Amino acid sequence: MTTSFLDAPAPASPPPTRRSSRPPRRRKPVLPWLLLSATLVVLGVFTGYPIVRLVVMSFQEYERAQLMGTPAEWVGFDNYVSILTDLDGFWTVLLRSFVVMVICVVLTMVIGTLLALLMMRLGKGLRVLVSVGLLLAWAMPPLSATIVWGWIFDTEYGIVNNLLTRITGDRWFGHSWLLDPLTFFMILVIIVVWGAVPFVAFTMYAGLTQIPGEVIEAAQLDGASALQRFRLVQIPYVSGIITVLIVLSMIWDLRLFTQVFALQTIGGDREATNTIGVYIFQTGMAQGHYGVAGAIGVIFVFIMMGLSSYYVRRTVQEEEL
Amino acid sequence: MKKIRVGGAVASVAVVALGLSACGGSAEPASEGPVTGDVRVWVVGGDTPEEARAFLKSTFEEQNPGSTLTIEEQAWDGLVDKYTTALSGSDAPDVVEIGNTQAAAFTSAGYFAEITGEQFEELGGDDLLPGFVEAGDWEGVHYALPYYSGSRVVFYSEQVLGGTEVPSTLDEYVATASSLKTADRSGIYWPGQDWYNALPFIWENGGFIAEPKDDGTWEAGFSSEGGLAGLEQIQEAFNTSNAPKDGQETDLQVPFCEGKVAFLSAPSWIQWGIKAEEDAEVPGCLATYGSDLKAFPLPGKDGGAAQVFAGGSNIAVAKNSPNPELAYKALQIMLSDEYQTMIAATGLIPAKVSLAGQVPQDDPIAAAGVEAAKTARLTPASPKWADVEAAGILQAAFTKIAAGQDVETIAKDLDTEIEKILNS
Repeated sequence: MTTSFLDAPAPASPPPTRRSSRPPRRRKPVLPWLLLSATLVVLGVFTGYPIVRLVVMSFQEYERAQLMGTPAEWVGFDNYVSILTDLDGFWTVLLRSFVVMVICVVLTMVIGTLLALLMMRLGKGLRVLVSVGLLLAWAMPPLSATIVWGWIFDTEYGIVNNLLTRITGDRWFGHSWLLDPLTFFMILVIIVVWGAVPFVAFTMYAGLTQIPGEVIEAAQLDGASALQRFRLVQIPYVSGIITVLIVLSMIWDLRLFTQVFALQTIGGDREATNTIGVYIFQTGMAQGHYGVAGAIGVIFVFIMMGLSSYYVRRTVQEEEL
Repeated sequence: MKKIRVGGAVASVAVVALGLSACGGSAEPASEGPVTGDVRVWVVGGDTPEEARAFLKSTFEEQNPGSTLTIEEQAWDGLVDKYTTALSGSDAPDVVEIGNTQAAAFTSAGYFAEITGEQFEELGGDDLLPGFVEAGDWEGVHYALPYYSGSRVVFYSEQVLGGTEVPSTLDEYVATASSLKTADRSGIYWPGQDWYNALPFIWENGGFIAEPKDDGTWEAGFSSEGGLAGLEQIQEAFNTSNAPKDGQETDLQVPFCEGKVAFLSAPSWIQWGIKAEEDAEVPGCLATYGSDLKAFPLPGKDGGAAQVFAGGSNIAVAKNSPNPELAYKALQIMLSDEYQTMIAATGLIPAKVSLAGQVPQDDPIAAAGVEAAKTARLTPASPKWADVEAAGILQAAFTKIAAGQDVETIAKDLDTEIEKILNS
């Protein structure tokens, strides 16, 4: 290995004569790889190995006993077949996850952009106030946020039921918001969007404030209305940012776990409210079918790769410029 | 590229930090002299009294100089998931408490260390509660031993009940609750996810949860004739409750202490939550509704005590315990007469039959617990039963019944799902 790096002449073979006439070949860069090695080892151990295990496990019958050392049996594509033919289970959950994701992404993007536009028009004091508010929401761990939102919608003692009772005069105490899957997902969407809006708002604000003032001014002089300026000038300027934000939001909202899991513990019907992340956990951890859960995981990895390929390609293209 | 590099660097630093901190936890046992180390005991929920915990720690550390014992309390919710990962890892706890109906999932998969015949005799042998010994056996080998048993009783306060008589049959119980129900007061306070309370209604009406058929497969019985009759009565009982239809059985003392509950069916140790001082860390209501707290065993269809769920726990040494010898010593203390007497004093039924007399007979709540335990029954004896519990399908089904949905449809769906898991 070292000899090839140092290009030392091998005594057994005659030295190539043509090489000496050429300019000396650039040495392979060792230092960058050396510097990267720590990261690569860590990535290999903590990400690479689990992925390999996941794929291997998805072709095995792997239950609780196998976790304690009983040899696992190879079952070929059995796990995949049972998942892909499971209409009530896997496909329903996947469809549900996609619907939730689309609603969350649309709401997050719209509210985030509106907030960014608002921040551009606010005075300094108010803008700081809004920023601090957004940052606090952004800094809140999803688990704590979900539990607090759970209290807000609490059946007996929640503030929402209390306010509704006062406003409408009807008796709202005892109304379970989480019991009906539809209102369960309404609350879930509120929690997710509430947590995701700050990132979108800040990024959009950063992008929109980078647009040169002259361009907007010129459009204004040409008679473009505010809506036209937004649609025809501002949006095209930040279109790159928007696509990246959408792709990232899609990935984040598709692999939801904490919020759904915590909300299901507070109330609601697990069967009717599972999303893909929670479904994998239920199959694997709670019921001990690691092989099947692994296979769902692998399928999900492919779906995620499909979604993120656009993002990666775009990033690579930008690098090349 | 700049961004990504920074991200990677931050991530790797974080990962390395995590890895290092994980390494810091395990101590190498000394190779010479008596083995010392830290023994971690996992108890679940608040059943184990404070006095017993202190006794376990001090006794263990006295008997094993140089070693320490840490008690870590786990929650019942999500216990099977937690144990599956914790017990199979290298950082496993040493001694664990496990629900009696959950034990089979772990004994059958080799998660617990074997308890030899000799050790079994040493720890109590035939004196140990037979039903619970059986729950902890797998293929003729002892793995998990009894820890305690406790059946549910029905609590009430005369300040709320007024002059109403305590019911003597199950039908009367529901009828009384129904007559006591107002918009502000629950007849029976029953959060929808609390399915343990539902089992007596099924059994008393002649139904069953699941039974093995001749060909070895399981048949679920919620949609059997008795099962349906039970579920209808359960729905009637739910109608007398103002509890959240999808709520859990946590913090039951809160509504009770508000005086909004006539009957509360709960494990006997709930009494300590209700009888806590008003300014305790978890406040109770010793001065008001806790002052005349009483309990009776849930009445059966034809009088007497109903067949209730035999709740309780087993205890075992983890297979991956870093200090199996020390863990066994901790187990010995937890099954000692002295420790088990402390368990009995709280009204729970101790792991040893000979100590049953230690349950205070003059305490009506404890007496109700003993009475209820006499006719208590277990969930189906299948290693996959724990998966049924962990999947949350029972909670979901009873939530729907509490919400007033059609009993027959729910029963059929529930049976299909239970059979699917038990026969998988």
